[in-house]
Amino acid sequence: MIVVEVLTGMSHPIEVLPVENTDYKSLPKARYAFDWLEERKEEIYKLVLKGQRDILGLVSIERIPSEWRIHIRLLTVSKENVGKGKTFEKIVGNLIAFVAKIAIADFGEMACVSLKPKSSIAQHYIDKYNMNATGITLSIEVPEILNLINRYDHE
Amino acid sequence: MIMSKEHSIFNVDSEYGVDSRYKTTKEREYDSVALMQARLERLKNLPKEQILRAKLVQLKLKMENYLKEFIYDNQNHFAHFLESYVDVIYSKRSEFAKDINVTPVYLSKVINGHREPNEEFILKLMVHSEKMFKHVSVFESSTWYKIYFHEKLCDTMSNEDRWRPEIERQVRLTELIVQ
Repeated sequence: MIVVEVLTGMSHPIEVLPVENTDYKSLPKARYAFDWLEERKEEIYKLVLKGQRDILGLVSIERIPSEWRIHIRLLTVSKENVGKGKTFEKIVGNLIAFVAKIAIADFGEMACVSLKPKSSIAQHYIDKYNMNATGITLSIEVPEILNLINRYDHE
Repeated sequence: MIMSKEHSIFNVDSEYGVDSRYKTTKEREYDSVALMQARLERLKNLPKEQILRAKLVQLKLKMENYLKEFIYDNQNHFAHFLESYVDVIYSKRSEFAKDINVTPVYLSKVINGHREPNEEFILKLMVHSEKMFKHVSVFESSTWYKIYFHEKLCDTMSNEDRWRPEIERQVRLTELIVQ
C-alpha cells in the first residue's frame, strides 16, 4: 500500500498500525480535525509512512459482528494533506481499504463497511469509492469492497 | 455569513474528516435495519463467483494475519488453512487431490494432521494458489511455505522447556571465544 507525494509524483510505502497511548499527545484537534483523546476507548488506527512516526491519517471503527459490519466512526487526514496544496494523496483510500480488509477477514462474503458523511460530501465517497447509499448511510460490500482492496493493494 | 472554522476546513476537501458516530440509539437502530434490508436485497443478486472471490480473499487475509503473530495454541494451522482453501474451491476434496496429482488418502492425512506435507506437496499447493488467485487478489507465492515454517517456529520456541534440556546435554563447544 502506498501514498503518492503530490509534488513529485513519487510513491511511498505506508503502514496502518493501531494507535498507541503515547500517540495521543501528538494528535491535536487543529491538525487532525477531532478530539482523538475522547475516542481512545475505541479501536483506532493510524497511517504512517513505513518506518516513520508522523501520522498522516486516522480512523476509528466499531465492529458489529451481529450485522457482519464495521462502522467507521471517525476518519481524517492531517491538515497538511487537505486541499489543493496537500502533500500526499490516497490517505483516506488506504484507510478505508484497511478497514475493508478487517471486514473481509472477519465476515467474508457478508462483509460491509459503513459510514455516514455529511450529505454535502457523501457524493464524493459514492463516486470515488463506489459506495452504496441507503438513506444517508453509505456502505461498501462485495463485490465493490474487493475491488477497493485490490485497487489499494496493487498500487 | 461567517462560517465556523471547522465548517470552512471541511469544505476545502471532502476527505478532511468524517464524523459518523451515532448520536442516539434510535438513530443507530434505524440505520441498522435500513442498511440490513438494502444489503440483503443486494446479496440476492450476488453471483457465486463473487462469493468465491470474497472467501478466497478472506482466507488470504487470515493467513497474512497469522503470519504477523506468534501463536502457540496446539492447533494445526497449516492443515486448517489447507482445509479451508480446498473446501472453499471444491465440492469434493478428491477433486482437488486429482488436480494436484496426489492421492485422496494423502490429502486427507495432511488435512487431518496425520501426516506432514512433503516439499512436493507444498510446491503443488503454491502453484495451484498462484493460478487460483491470479484474477482474485495479490497472493504471495511463498505464503504456504511461510505458514508451514512459521507454525514450526512457533511450536518449537513455545516448547523450548521440553526439548532444551536433552539438546543442551548433546551440544558442546570445543572452541570457546574468551572475552
